Amino acid sequence: MRLLEDLFDRLRPKIEQGPLGRAVPLFDAMNNFFLGPKTATPCAPHVRDPIDLKRYMTMVILALLPTLAAGVYLFGLRVLAVVLVSYMVGGTIEVVIACIRKEEINEGFFVTGMIFPLILPPGVPLWMVALGVAAGVIIGKEIFGGTGRNPFNAALVGRCILTLAYPSRLNAFIEPASGWPGRLMTYQVDAISSATPLADAKNGTLEPITNLFWGNVSGSIGETSAALILAGGLFLVLVGVVNWRTIVSVLGSFAALGFLLGGLFPSHFGNPVGWHMLAGGLLFGTVFMATDPVTGPMTNGGKVAYGILIGAIVLLIRNLTGYVEGVTFAILLGNIVAPTIDAVAVRLRIRRLAYER
Amino acid sequence: MRLKRKGGYNVPLAGRPAGQIRAPAEADTLWLPLASRRFAFTQLAVGNGEMVKTGQVLATDPANFDVPLLAPRDGTVRLGAVKGHLVLENARRGPARIDARRAETHPAHGDGEAKRRALVRLGAWQFFEDAHTGRLPDPFTVPRAVIVSTVRLEPFLARGDAQLADRLDAFARGLECLQSLLEYQRIYLLVPDVQSELAETLHENLRGLAWLQIVTIPRRYPMDHFALVARGLGLKAGGDGPVWAVRTEGVLAVDRALSESRPVTERVISLGGPAVGEPVHLSLPVGYPLEKILLGAIVEGLPRVLTGGALTGEALDHAQKGLDAECAGLTVLAEPKRRELFGWLRPGWDRASYGRCYLSSLHRPRPEPLTTAMRGEKRACIACGQCETVCPARILPHVIHKALYADAIDDAEHLGVDLCVGCGLCSYVCPSKIELRQEFLDAQQKIREEREHAEAAKAEEVKG
Repeated sequence: MRLLEDLFDRLRPKIEQGPLGRAVPLFDAMNNFFLGPKTATPCAPHVRDPIDLKRYMTMVILALLPTLAAGVYLFGLRVLAVVLVSYMVGGTIEVVIACIRKEEINEGFFVTGMIFPLILPPGVPLWMVALGVAAGVIIGKEIFGGTGRNPFNAALVGRCILTLAYPSRLNAFIEPASGWPGRLMTYQVDAISSATPLADAKNGTLEPITNLFWGNVSGSIGETSAALILAGGLFLVLVGVVNWRTIVSVLGSFAALGFLLGGLFPSHFGNPVGWHMLAGGLLFGTVFMATDPVTGPMTNGGKVAYGILIGAIVLLIRNLTGYVEGVTFAILLGNIVAPTIDAVAVRLRIRRLAYER
Repeated sequence: MRLKRKGGYNVPLAGRPAGQIRAPAEADTLWLPLASRRFAFTQLAVGNGEMVKTGQVLATDPANFDVPLLAPRDGTVRLGAVKGHLVLENARRGPARIDARRAETHPAHGDGEAKRRALVRLGAWQFFEDAHTGRLPDPFTVPRAVIVSTVRLEPFLARGDAQLADRLDAFARGLECLQSLLEYQRIYLLVPDVQSELAETLHENLRGLAWLQIVTIPRRYPMDHFALVARGLGLKAGGDGPVWAVRTEGVLAVDRALSESRPVTERVISLGGPAVGEPVHLSLPVGYPLEKILLGAIVEGLPRVLTGGALTGEALDHAQKGLDAECAGLTVLAEPKRRELFGWLRPGWDRASYGRCYLSSLHRPRPEPLTTAMRGEKRACIACGQCETVCPARILPHVIHKALYADAIDDAEHLGVDLCVGCGLCSYVCPSKIELRQEFLDAQQKIREEREHAEAAKAEEVKG
């Protein structure tokens, strides 16, 4: 460890003055990845909590790992290639932009780079992964100043652009594996295309709800297993990284509105609400993307309003439009109105401060 | 009466000073700093080489109602020997003189004003502060109320329980003296909300008094902050008349000054923090050499010494040689030495955290030898909301940070940046390691300056 520390300490001035001077942010990122920084507090408070952004993002990655494992099991080892491409292309862009800006490299990309492949269909071409993640990182995040300043969820921007640009090719869904070892030994499955449960439902056939729960259904890489997503969500709530209000309000509004409209207009909203909740990307989007603190509202009240809005929009898109799935659009729409929700919620909060003055 | 408030957190810092007060060996030479946090003793009352007696006024602060710097010992004054200090050579304990002017009362103002003058003259008034601004209040106004605190929660400052242990009688007498300065205004006495012998004795001895209201507060930092307590009691800033605030040592000083007519020349300070071998409370004269306090007490080489606690204290000025007139504690922290391999990946059983991202959240918090390490890199705010839940002032630190980042100081003012009490917990918990406390204090300063500027301009206009 001392050796590594010495190595980094000795290399830094050389990098800084050498021809690779521009790459200092990359060097620092690697340096701090291995060894925590030695910086001391410049002013009061003189001691600090151990939590940092690396730890924070690590929690999200941990929560995502089970769904990734399920994706590999169900759809083959190619899933890992998809994740790798996403990390490599997105990471390179992130690093290059950070070097140009002379800013630190933000850990936020480790989450974006993982979420993005998980919301893609398993048969997606790798070049499309590269294109999508590039679009997501640049348009969704970097032009606004990087993680923490982005108004939109970068993974969803990438996914949205791909959906609009290649509607048919982004339908590359694959029949899921079954039994042991599933597709843990296979790289790629050729052309066993299969419609997602939501698409089937539009045509009148309902997948059994237990399959939706455990995940042996067709769908995007990480969205199929409701059980694993809920476990990840529970973990994130328990470690306090995610606010439960968002999750409860999205699902609550989806269920409440579903029951209401299902009673009023059975012809349009015929499918059982419980089934709908487990199908498609609703759970994944709710747990991992609607809860993104950066792109959502900042206050608790705002989060509830935001969740209600997203749940309602998903329900309406799924049942009333030509799209079978609406989570991407719903959350992006939520991102758009989040600052407005915040403006109202913060004003209400300030009114409460009057008691303090 | 019980005060409740959301937010707050007890930072698990090791090195809590023990409850007894120790008086170390006398020093031959005392270095009395001529400035402290609030005071600047610019008006010298003695000449170079002059022999002084214990309790004699050495200098006063004309900007703060002439509060005096008293000679803590008999000795010879040496001026200009050390920059910013008044040196007292051949210091030795003299007889604590009884103030001769005791009986002198002003016919027009009666007894009250004489008492107030005595408080100032005998060095007890400096223990008072305005609950909202923290500044020295005007001794000759009538306050709306007085808040007396026996609780001190910041790690680490001299605690009330240590000083009260065998001086309850003096404390009760001090409260009565304090009451005699008031007309019908209340004194609020803060006690911790735990079952302890001290709390019970306080309750028993002081319950029946109509002018005294006992208020229990949670033992969570910074619930003892005077501004927060005043807000909780409905004594808002800008009401009619100031709210005086004073701690245990202040009440004991009042007793000494008014009941015994003796000058207050000793201070009780705490010496704590993880880098201190044996954390204790010390009773010292002002000007006691810092070197003597710290030498031998510190177990780490080259640590950071703070005047005040770990959350709001300031790094000790290297030029300062003696204990100043306002110090309530010295906290000593080690500077970070080692870098940690994959620190962010560790399970963190031994890493107490405000959030729940470490395994340590499975057990009760244990004091840890924290250093001055940042423990992470600075990042943009991700609106995780930890600062909001920990904030005792009920403001939204991350929203204010965004306003200040965009240079919108008016927005920040609207969002209540002026309500920030500077407890430092938001900076402590921030995973992006943003210096929120410093930002807010700077903004408050800027707002104050702008307001003063505007008022001055207005006054100019009226004149013209």
